[in-house]
Amino acid sequence: MSLRVAVFACAGSLVCGVAAAQTVPTQSSTSSVVQEPVLMQAMDTELHRAMADLGSASEPVASSNEKSAEKAPQKPYFLSYSAADAESVTITAQYGAIVNSNQSHDRTADVQVRIGTPELDNTHDTHRASALTTMSLPLTDDREAIERTLWFTTNRGYGKALDALEKVKTEQQVRAREEDRSPDFSRQQPVVDILPTEPPLTVDRAAWEARLRQISGIFRGYPDIFYDTVVLQATHETDYFVSSEGSKVAAPNHVARLIVEARTRAADGMDMFRDETFEADSAGHLPAQAEVMTKIEALAKGLNDLRTAPITEPYNGPAILSGRAAAVFFHEVLGHRLEGQRQRGDEEGETFTKLLGKAILPSFLSVADDPTLKTYDGHPLSGHYLFDDEGQPAQRVQLVQDGVLQTFLMSRLPVAGFSESNGHGRAQTGKMPTGRQGNLIVTSAKTVSDTKLRQMLKAEARKQGKTYGLYFEDISSGFAVTTRRSPQAFQVIPLVVYRVYVDGRPDELVRGVSIVGTPQAALSSIVATDDHPEVFNGLCGAESGTVPVSAVAPAMLVSSIETQRQAQGTSRPPIVPPPPLDDVPSTSTPNTTGTPKGGR
Amino acid sequence: MRMRSLLLIPALCSFAMAQAPQANDPILTAMQQELAREKADLVIPGMQRPYFIAYRLEDLHTYDAIASYGALTRETESHQRVVRVEVRIGNYASDSSSARGDGSLELAPMDNDPAALTYALWSATDDAYKNALRAYAAKQATLKTFQTPPTANDFTPAKSVTLIEPLVELTLDRDDWKRRLIAASGLFETSPEVRSFANDVQHSSASVSVLVVNRYTVDTDGTVLRHGYAGYSDDINVGGQAPDGMNLGRSNGSVATTAAGLESAAALNKRTLEDLISFNELRHAPLVDPEDYHGPVLFSGDASADVFNRLLVPNVEADRPDMGTAARTRGAYQSSYKTPILPSFLSVVDDPAMRTFEGHGLLGAYKVDDEGVPVAPVDVVVRGKLMNYLIGREPVKDFPDSNGHGRAGLGQGAHSRAGVILIKSLDPLSAEALHAKLLALAKEQGRDVYSVETLGGELAPRLLYRVSPDGKRTLVRGAIFDELDQRAIRSGILAAGGKPYVAQQVMPVPQTTIAPELLFADITVKRANEEQQKLPYYPPPVLPAN
Repeated sequence: MSLRVAVFACAGSLVCGVAAAQTVPTQSSTSSVVQEPVLMQAMDTELHRAMADLGSASEPVASSNEKSAEKAPQKPYFLSYSAADAESVTITAQYGAIVNSNQSHDRTADVQVRIGTPELDNTHDTHRASALTTMSLPLTDDREAIERTLWFTTNRGYGKALDALEKVKTEQQVRAREEDRSPDFSRQQPVVDILPTEPPLTVDRAAWEARLRQISGIFRGYPDIFYDTVVLQATHETDYFVSSEGSKVAAPNHVARLIVEARTRAADGMDMFRDETFEADSAGHLPAQAEVMTKIEALAKGLNDLRTAPITEPYNGPAILSGRAAAVFFHEVLGHRLEGQRQRGDEEGETFTKLLGKAILPSFLSVADDPTLKTYDGHPLSGHYLFDDEGQPAQRVQLVQDGVLQTFLMSRLPVAGFSESNGHGRAQTGKMPTGRQGNLIVTSAKTVSDTKLRQMLKAEARKQGKTYGLYFEDISSGFAVTTRRSPQAFQVIPLVVYRVYVDGRPDELVRGVSIVGTPQAALSSIVATDDHPEVFNGLCGAESGTVPVSAVAPAMLVSSIETQRQAQGTSRPPIVPPPPLDDVPSTSTPNTTGTPKGGR
Repeated sequence: MRMRSLLLIPALCSFAMAQAPQANDPILTAMQQELAREKADLVIPGMQRPYFIAYRLEDLHTYDAIASYGALTRETESHQRVVRVEVRIGNYASDSSSARGDGSLELAPMDNDPAALTYALWSATDDAYKNALRAYAAKQATLKTFQTPPTANDFTPAKSVTLIEPLVELTLDRDDWKRRLIAASGLFETSPEVRSFANDVQHSSASVSVLVVNRYTVDTDGTVLRHGYAGYSDDINVGGQAPDGMNLGRSNGSVATTAAGLESAAALNKRTLEDLISFNELRHAPLVDPEDYHGPVLFSGDASADVFNRLLVPNVEADRPDMGTAARTRGAYQSSYKTPILPSFLSVVDDPAMRTFEGHGLLGAYKVDDEGVPVAPVDVVVRGKLMNYLIGREPVKDFPDSNGHGRAGLGQGAHSRAGVILIKSLDPLSAEALHAKLLALAKEQGRDVYSVETLGGELAPRLLYRVSPDGKRTLVRGAIFDELDQRAIRSGILAAGGKPYVAQQVMPVPQTTIAPELLFADITVKRANEEQQKLPYYPPPVLPAN
């Protein structure tokens, strides 16, 4: 798994002096302090044996009785073993009852084999996955079994890589010259840093099951919310990485996440959902039950209100995106397009490739991605890690400075003008790493208070001859945990939208719009921001799998945003009224907030 | 056991069905309450009401452990409940159902929380009803495009049944089994008998897998069921390559209805060693002759059971034919009713009431099927002729009623599926007599013949012996069978043995096939021309000194 949370944060300085905990690293980068784990010793030994034996002149096992000894067998120029040793507890509740509660321990190895040269290897173009072979490892420190498993996996991976390299070479012969002639693999300095491994995971499952029943039980008070799920995931993981370049990294991480999702359907068939994620470094540090209950009660009420909210008309005018909405918007619309691999390849849109050094945002906005941050203003950040999945140290990357595009999120796949990784090669176990976001942080040099921002919205609406502006409180994206699909570039669907009337009427909750238009247009029409950034934590799915990410942004006033009627859902709401739910399950958890009782 | 004596077994099948409805199971009570509410209220004004609704709750408990190269690599346990709601619109003659089997699924609470359970049922029912309305409209429109009306009704009524069986529990000494798997999967390097070729063993793993299912069913016919089953299995999987690159492996295990029914630790070790040794023999075995062989092949009971499971069983399970055709069922025997499909000395009975056979607990045994129909023995093939199909509540031509074979895979609708299939010979030969007959054929034809012990997937031989007229057996590799088809089992079986082999499967539905050895007159044995992968590019790590 890709998330790495460590015991210290090494914060970079942020533009606009947004407060972030500056802590001195407590662990130096030396391996002498920590005893090298058996798993790592086995990985190291077997990796060096494979490098020595594979493709060596005296091909030891395979009898080459094929026609003409085909030159010397090819040695891999790069080999890496990464192992994820993860213990997890997952508990799920629905409708106020536990539906499953499981504990697991997995050890998985990703073996990466590269043959050819860094300039052109078996991963070229569409063959990226040919470098990777994944296998379960022994759960115990049985060195011989670990080594034999790695041998089996490496042997299979080497065969796959040989095959792919042949295809790559053939394709190079028949295709037109590629626009971006960058190498397939960057050259990096090896890193050695062996941090202490994670202690065993301990979660009081019975207590958490009781908490989850109570949280999920909230939805019994809202019978029209026909689906809800509350999930606790707690993981202790240690990631080990060794490579033929000499890198040796062991990094622990622990994370706990409480995810709540609920769905309802309006009378006209429109489906609506809300979700909320609570994040901490361990289950014990998640917010207290009372705080969670208050938030989820509000979420349930909001979703229930939304069901009967009027549908708003297509609109082209000013709007405010809340900090949370702006964070999601930047993650989707800007962040994904700044991933390095999207700047090369025949299938990529390359929206920003040619805009390097040019203004893509108003000059008062800057954007950085900083996975080294563990928290932001006291809030835990999901996108924190110490080393990326290619063994590179996490780095703060200034993507946009004063509105001008500076660089991309780089894995070890170079693109024109950027030959090295900047520590953003991330992947889920079993996938090839690509450039991904960690903690995307949007900062502003033109901030006003919320009150002032609202006044500016009304003024702008009046100027454009509108009776109201829109306030986007929450928008959805590929962040939703249940949606495993990769994010559709512009599919940002507003979940909670209000009309803010210029004549002083109270704000009115509406539904049924989606935001359309090009990202550049939307980004360049940002007029001002508020002064207190919000954190959005979530899971992001893309080609290299699901990785945890964060986005941080202040609320933003946009002079012009275009919306259209949202096309979705034609099913009728449930025919028969829901069954009586008046027996809300009693819970022993003391800090209960008022839970509405009774069905209809 | 002589096959003849099996004919007596069907007499055991009478069982008491008339238990008073026991409403003290909170799960069944909640299901009945929600079913009653939906039956009364579920209708969109102007549209049809359902004429049949069935609720099924599946409580699934699984445990799996795998060891590889002498170390545990995976251990998982899960316990989950799922509800499945089936709604039928229309009437018995023509309704919303499709061949797929239609239903809506929802996760159900592990807590015995009736409110949460009824809420999940309510949600799934709404979904199932809307899907059924759409499916009914689409199906009626499609039927109008065909000249030929369907050859049978869509569904058949059934008497209500109440059967409350004790809950089935997962009982396995997990630590003991983990130790067994670790030991077995490491034998290739720890056992002196096989250590000489340990480096040629590319993979060696052992696993144990348990599935325990308790099913709660209520339907609008008034049926109330609580029944379940357990499947325990352990497997060994070893393999590697021959010097020419051919992939070779041995993989087998035991299947049982209880943990105690699985093989002992000693038996597991013994079998693992045998597998390793036969793998090594295969590596050094000659390739089968490059030119085709057409002639006698003796199949062990194990191999015969695989043959019947592939060629006969699926074709006597009556699946509804495609709309617009006049066929009776799908498959090879759709127009074979009362015609020969086997030689006249073979008969086939499906008898799920038989719970044990020669000390084996039978996985395919049950009292009432998943559609609430009690089961009785069915004479499928009598003296070679197909006399009955196995069928659930979806009729086919000439078979308007269920004979208790509506069986559902996990989360699936019920389909016609076999339970305990017994293939019986009226004239069984002893193993010696059968072998003598094979040798007689070899002498008569003046050539070597073949004998097969085990098959892999697709009826490919795993352990195949060339047998010379003087009885010498030579293991060969790289063969496939050809012309092993319905014609071969109809008119190509010369004789059957008397030593039945019990083959069992847990998935997709628990099923047992009991088959004797078979002597075929004319099967093609040919060389498989598969790609040979490269041998390992570098040697495995050096084995530790013992």
